[in-house]
Amino acid sequence: MLRAFWSANLAEELAYRANLAASVLGTVFWMGAAVLTAGVFFRQTAELGGWGFWEVVALLGVFNAVAGVVEALLRPNIGRLVQHVRDGTMDLILAKPLDPQVHVSFRRVVIWKGTDILLGLGLAGYALVRAGTVPSATSVLAFSLTLAAALAIVYAVWLALMTLSFWFVAVENLEILFDSVYEAARFPVTAYPRAVRFVLVYLLPIAWITTVPASALTGRAGMGTAALALVVAAAALVATRLLWNVALRRYTSAGG
Amino acid sequence: MRSREAGLRARYAALIRAAWLTDLQYRAAIAIWLVLGVAQPLITLAVWWAVAGGGEVGGYGQADFARYFFALMLVDQLTLAWDVWYIDRWIREGELNFRLARPLDPIHEAIADNIAYKMKTGTLVLVVWAGIALLWPAARLEVGPGRFALAVLAIVLAAAIRFVTGYVNGLLAFWTTRATAIAELHFGISLFLAGRIAPLSLLPPAVAGVAGVLWFPYMIAFPVEVLTGAVTTAPELLRGFGWQCFWLATWVGVYRLVWTRGLRRYGAVGG
Repeated sequence: MLRAFWSANLAEELAYRANLAASVLGTVFWMGAAVLTAGVFFRQTAELGGWGFWEVVALLGVFNAVAGVVEALLRPNIGRLVQHVRDGTMDLILAKPLDPQVHVSFRRVVIWKGTDILLGLGLAGYALVRAGTVPSATSVLAFSLTLAAALAIVYAVWLALMTLSFWFVAVENLEILFDSVYEAARFPVTAYPRAVRFVLVYLLPIAWITTVPASALTGRAGMGTAALALVVAAAALVATRLLWNVALRRYTSAGG
Repeated sequence: MRSREAGLRARYAALIRAAWLTDLQYRAAIAIWLVLGVAQPLITLAVWWAVAGGGEVGGYGQADFARYFFALMLVDQLTLAWDVWYIDRWIREGELNFRLARPLDPIHEAIADNIAYKMKTGTLVLVVWAGIALLWPAARLEVGPGRFALAVLAIVLAAAIRFVTGYVNGLLAFWTTRATAIAELHFGISLFLAGRIAPLSLLPPAVAGVAGVLWFPYMIAFPVEVLTGAVTTAPELLRGFGWQCFWLATWVGVYRLVWTRGLRRYGAVGG
């Protein structure tokens, strides 16, 4: 069923090629600004949290790739949950045979944002070359696993945040909370003071979203961390699914 | 009669509760925008804090960075301008017409909207900022009445520059659908040239030099440095205020030009 939705999307989106060009230019500009920002710091220091310049750039590549997934898949879908609840279209979704969480999460795909993912991964690859690091097969595997875990965690965070829409129906900009906190993912968590680091590993899972995959890619972290990341991701998905069910139950029982 | 009064009271209570809940959520939305506004400066501060460690970087120690970025958060919130987004929308979605029919120029609606929002959020921002300064000595600013007055002037001028540049940017919608993309570009550049990533003295001298003759630092960095006391001497202050006045006047001139040209084009295209 998803395939039917997505092929209709694709036709729409490809018709707007100007959008694609503008999107690519925009992403390249922002990636450039991010690299320049790192450059400003590296004028004053030789490392950020023990990471060298090109390692940080590799992390920025991962940051952009994950942001691409957010723009392509998360913001257009689960980000619109508030509207569904307000318009009453949530009831229509609940009446359909498809699991409402899947429907709300994956209905649309903004395909040209996929270029952000490619550009991000490209930047990470380029940074590895400049750093002189050639990732081993295990590193590539660890990277793939930690990246998958990171995406699962990002999804879980979005779901948890948007579930608040069921209670805070009048708050239109819940998604902005994600953007605010995600800014912290631009740097390796070791670059922050210790107190902040603690928050970003155990409370707001920012560390697991960019630092961990980037560490796997550059060889700082191995399969052990990858396994841990998968456990954290699974726990996050289960927890948010439970939260979703609670919210849905409350919504339907309130005569919604 | 008794039950009618009771019924009325119950309904009133329900109305008040509903209004309070809506107001609460509206305030929640404003709080969320505030969180976004302070996120980038806070994160940037955290990294500089760690880099400075126990020593200093380019003359800035941890306390200096804390002072700079807390002042920056305050100045940013007080000089905020978002007019580019709705001016662009007004033009592209035909919401300009009924505004043009009014006796008052639409810019006044935009200015009023800007000030009204800041009056609502200004107190919240100042209270939070004062609270943090109370708990964290590093963020405190020693501001005498003289410097306070100068800072207020610099902030007002900066707010005006940010508003007018945003307005002109929005007016570009008369000619292009990418006015908001230009706004993003402007913000991206201001990350560096307005001192949001680092105090300008930490940038390469050539970059800081270019910034100094453009309007960017006079939107953020200059008022911040007046507040923190980084700019104290008369020549520095005169120079800063001079550039603020120059760029404000220039942008107001550009606005007048763009507005008349734009209206002509808008009318010609059957707006």
